[in-house]
Amino acid sequence: MCDLKRTLDAGGNCILEMPSGTGKTISLLSLTISYQMFYPERRKIVYCSRTMSEIEKALTELRSLMAFREKELGRKEPFRGLGLTSRKNLCLHPEVRRERKGAVVDEKCRSLTSSFVMEQKKAGKNPKLCEYHENLYELEPHNLIPEGVWTFDSLMQYCEETKQCPYFTVRRMMSLCNIVIYSFHYLLDPKIAERVSKELSKDSIIIFDEAHNIDNVCIESLSIDLTEGTLQKALRGVNDLGKQIDEMKASDSEKLQDEYQRLVEGLREADQAREEDVFMANPVLPDDLLKEAIPGNIRRAEHFVAFLKRFVEYLKTRMQVRHVISETPPSFLQHLKELTFIERKPLRFTSERLTSLIRTLELTNVEQFVALKEIAMFATLVSTYEQGFMLILEPFESDTATVPNPILHFTCLDASIAIKPVFERFASVIITSGTISPLDMYPKMLNFETVLQESYTMTLTRRSFLPLIVTRGSDQVAISSRFEIRNDPSVVRNYGNLFIEFSKLTPDGLVVFFPSYLYMESIISMWQTMGILDEVWKYKLILVETPDSQETSLALEAFRTACGNGRGAALLCVARGKVSEGIDFDHHYGRTVLMIGVPFQYTESRILKARLEFMRENYHIRENDFLSFDAMRHGAQCLGRVLRGKDDYGIMVLADKRFSRKRTQLPKWINQAIMDSDVNLSTDMAVAAAKKFLRTMAQPMDDKDQEGVSVWSLSDLLRVQEEQRIEEAAKAAYEAKKKPEADSSKMDLDEEDYFDDTDDIYGFTLSDDEMLLELDI
Amino acid sequence: MSDSDESYNEASSPDSEELTGSRALSVGVSTRSTRKSNAELRSTTGGGYVWEDSIQRPWDIVQEDEGGSLANAIADLVQANKRKRLFYEQTPLQRGIIRHLMLVLDLSSAMADKDLRPSRYQLSLQYAIQFINEYFEQNPISQLGVIGMKDGLARLISQLGGNPTEHVAAIQALKKDEPAGVPSLQNALEMARGALYHVPSHGTKEVVIIFGALISCDPGDIHKTVATLKAEQIRVRVVGLAAQVAVCKELCQQTNDGDLASTYGVILNEQHFKEVLLNACTPPASTLNEKAKSKSGSELMRMGFPSRVVETTPSFCACHTRLLKGGYLCPRCNVKVCSLPTECPACGLTLILSTHLARSYHHLMPLKNWYEVEWPEARSSKTSACFSCSKPFALPSVHTASTKIRIIAGSSTVSSSTRQEKESLATGRFRCPTCRKQFCIDCDLFAHEVLHNCPGCEAAGPSGRQYSTTAKPAGEILPQTNAGSRFSSAPISI
Repeated sequence: MCDLKRTLDAGGNCILEMPSGTGKTISLLSLTISYQMFYPERRKIVYCSRTMSEIEKALTELRSLMAFREKELGRKEPFRGLGLTSRKNLCLHPEVRRERKGAVVDEKCRSLTSSFVMEQKKAGKNPKLCEYHENLYELEPHNLIPEGVWTFDSLMQYCEETKQCPYFTVRRMMSLCNIVIYSFHYLLDPKIAERVSKELSKDSIIIFDEAHNIDNVCIESLSIDLTEGTLQKALRGVNDLGKQIDEMKASDSEKLQDEYQRLVEGLREADQAREEDVFMANPVLPDDLLKEAIPGNIRRAEHFVAFLKRFVEYLKTRMQVRHVISETPPSFLQHLKELTFIERKPLRFTSERLTSLIRTLELTNVEQFVALKEIAMFATLVSTYEQGFMLILEPFESDTATVPNPILHFTCLDASIAIKPVFERFASVIITSGTISPLDMYPKMLNFETVLQESYTMTLTRRSFLPLIVTRGSDQVAISSRFEIRNDPSVVRNYGNLFIEFSKLTPDGLVVFFPSYLYMESIISMWQTMGILDEVWKYKLILVETPDSQETSLALEAFRTACGNGRGAALLCVARGKVSEGIDFDHHYGRTVLMIGVPFQYTESRILKARLEFMRENYHIRENDFLSFDAMRHGAQCLGRVLRGKDDYGIMVLADKRFSRKRTQLPKWINQAIMDSDVNLSTDMAVAAAKKFLRTMAQPMDDKDQEGVSVWSLSDLLRVQEEQRIEEAAKAAYEAKKKPEADSSKMDLDEEDYFDDTDDIYGFTLSDDEMLLELDI
Repeated sequence: MSDSDESYNEASSPDSEELTGSRALSVGVSTRSTRKSNAELRSTTGGGYVWEDSIQRPWDIVQEDEGGSLANAIADLVQANKRKRLFYEQTPLQRGIIRHLMLVLDLSSAMADKDLRPSRYQLSLQYAIQFINEYFEQNPISQLGVIGMKDGLARLISQLGGNPTEHVAAIQALKKDEPAGVPSLQNALEMARGALYHVPSHGTKEVVIIFGALISCDPGDIHKTVATLKAEQIRVRVVGLAAQVAVCKELCQQTNDGDLASTYGVILNEQHFKEVLLNACTPPASTLNEKAKSKSGSELMRMGFPSRVVETTPSFCACHTRLLKGGYLCPRCNVKVCSLPTECPACGLTLILSTHLARSYHHLMPLKNWYEVEWPEARSSKTSACFSCSKPFALPSVHTASTKIRIIAGSSTVSSSTRQEKESLATGRFRCPTCRKQFCIDCDLFAHEVLHNCPGCEAAGPSGRQYSTTAKPAGEILPQTNAGSRFSSAPISI
């Protein structure tokens, strides 16, 4: 917490690593809020998390925190905390909310709420409107919702009562909130960020939680994949657009003329009502936007349509090539120019022009233009950025496929592009996660400076997890998922035996992670012939994750039931799959996690190769460093799945010879718990250790033991503060102003643990304020 | 004997054989097996093979004292082990002393594992026998039945009944079998529920499961079974042999009003297994629910106290049709039975001795903990020998430095009186807070675990009789109750 405070004071960025389940969220929130309340300028807090459930969790914690503050301080502070998520989750309209797909909900919502529909109403027509949205206009624009912290449920409830649209309520209130909690994408994806996060003031405090994948999010938000299907649809879209224009010309040519005039003047409209229903935003980042008028050759609607048609046709011809091409944006543009005489400049305005056209045409049914939208985005991006992007055309899905299925990947190689505006605009950015080691990789990749990087360990009363590195099978043959030997029968058999042994000794849930789907499939079929699966079947149900998300969620459900009723189950999944990222295996759902092999990325992928090359050239990150960093990051993420809190325990088995060397790349809290005797085990030794561990862990735990060790009361805290003050005074004599780094970080750590227990939060806000006062003096 | 100490057991078991004549047979069995297991236990330290265990270096545990001698440290360890047992639960709780318990044994293939020696299977059967003996020893008016889980089915091994020998014989017969298949908790629980269905409301209904496997293959939804068990107030305890299983946790938590720590034990090693299992001998405290229920219908129970007859010519007993010269006559129908407690085969009356009642009675009113006498007090007191066994205490130390109070006692008992002890920290004297007599540690253990009475208090009692610590059954001093004993339902408070 001291570290956080220092970061905020210095106005810089920091990276913090704290083990999962140690109250990361609450300590972040409690400090930032005290900070916010203490200073008169009231810096806004933006808290970004990854999934819907995490956002919800953060909101709930925020709520209990505020209730606590109120109790402690004896007065109610003017405070407003809101969470934002997609329309799909925040819709009350009886028809619209029935839809399942997010995109459809968006469309339907737009068709009921967009500004020209409203204009139609004003004009005396009677279109269908969303009453929830309409009601918003009757309310005072600055007080759509009372003060307080609103979780999604309570928000929905409130809005149901007052018949107002929750989504737009939040959207409009965002500028008036003290804290906003939403997903990464709202801040990182320039398409959305432009609309949603524009109004955030410069001194806001930005927190990225669970940010270990932040670079991938950045990259994804700027990458586009085009397939033949997309092009087909786009072409159809262009034709439709042309038809619409013709119709419009016949009926209402004035409007088109109007638009033309506007474009000539280079006006960009900014009124709020319109902004909300913009059907697509410019994918380019704010500072790269040209402050110029749209060039003449695409100003006329029919010209623009022709232009788009040409572009799509060009892409189609490119797709016919039957060999792999990878080129940079400039060479692509050059080629484009040679063939179609499309210049770079108009291309840059494609998406903006499309938006404006669609608005003019008052098209509500935007669904058919989704593909076209993508093309336009692609055009804009490809013409805007020269550096850090790569075009890769892969005509075949895999090396062995003979039926061509060309995909044009337009990939962003530089994660820093998307996050740059965030760092530039906001003074303090805090990136945290449970598994973010090695810390110095992130500043390098994302190209920013940090005030502080810190990795904290856990203080626990008992050794609640047991990391084991298994390097050999019972027959002493080294096990590894290295490509050359991984299909070797002896290695597969050894992995199988390990699996059997652990399925025997683990109660309830066992989670097995493989490096890839491909390897998982091959190893499973080999196990089947070896009879290993039959053996495991006696002890556990076997469930497998598949790329299909519905099948996987079914498997997960079955897994949970089996763990709940005592049958026990083993879940085989992939280290980069859905399971490894968002799903927690707390308590009995995951008593053992078994990592079979190091989860390296598929190095033959051209995109990855391009990215590696880029990083070597621009950021001086060696390929191997990045690959192993990435592998260990995913590995740690998988391992972290089993341990979600203080009373939880689990065994982590890392089964690969190479892990013993990569140990240092694991997060500090895991690495610290690995005993030297546990780094080079054979299967039978690991089994003995695990058995013993499970028995020890099953002993009843006394809550009182935790007090003073991992759960601190106020008196403990004061005592340590006192000790520290003395120490600090002593140190101050030596070094005039320098703060004792080690001590404060230790203190910090202890405090974190103290906050762990949300039930036992007695006295912490008080101490926060105290601390602030202290440090300020 | 909820927390029995191994070295102590050996010393005291010959005495306990004399406790009650009628139980001589069963006690004999218990003594023999105790000795046998003690011999085994001494040789083992942890689970699994010795070479699989982490290395235990004795020189890490033991620390030298100032003089460089180890004798003190070793004696300390021995005493600490004894002392650990000296803190008993002494709050008088309302407990159901008429118990009906189903012992569920796991006979599945997981029990073939050899991490407990000779194997999980053999050891659990052996401990189950010990448990049964101990159970009837402490709860003479209770009943017990045994169920086995094998091949996904539940097997009734012996019916709910009050005779330990039958159960023991049934379990002995199992020793020849091999464990096989998977266990089914649900089947076993349903069978136990059926067996306990007709139990009258004044008795407790309990299930103790020895569970070696980590899975349970159930035909239906086990959560429903748990809910019915809860509704019927059947309490389930589980002794896990390998690891904590979520469903067992839920089972114990649900059926015991959330009390998990004392009802779901996972063993660490053989010794711990025994401790956890024998904990179940102490009758469970009544829960609020049960109290509310019993308050409304505090019913009387009919019991007979038969008279012992000694005949010159042997006659058949009604229970086993054996020719015997002695026996007990039912006060209602005059039928002869050979052993007590039992139900009269003719009229169905519960036949017990008053001493049986008395032995169960100590669970309701536990003996108070004795506190340790410190050196200044010990020096000033005139007593120099244990009140009950008359062995002299260690002499007061000449050093004044040893004022530090330690909970874990030092090594000044009479049994190992060597020179070093004079310098040790604890006095080895324990004082009863009521009569203020001083006792040695061995007598303390004996009084708390076997007698459940303080010899000093008894000596000062109105009768003024001196009780020797060994020969007389403790129950005699209790007021004789008439046939309508209400112990089961009357709340006892001090």
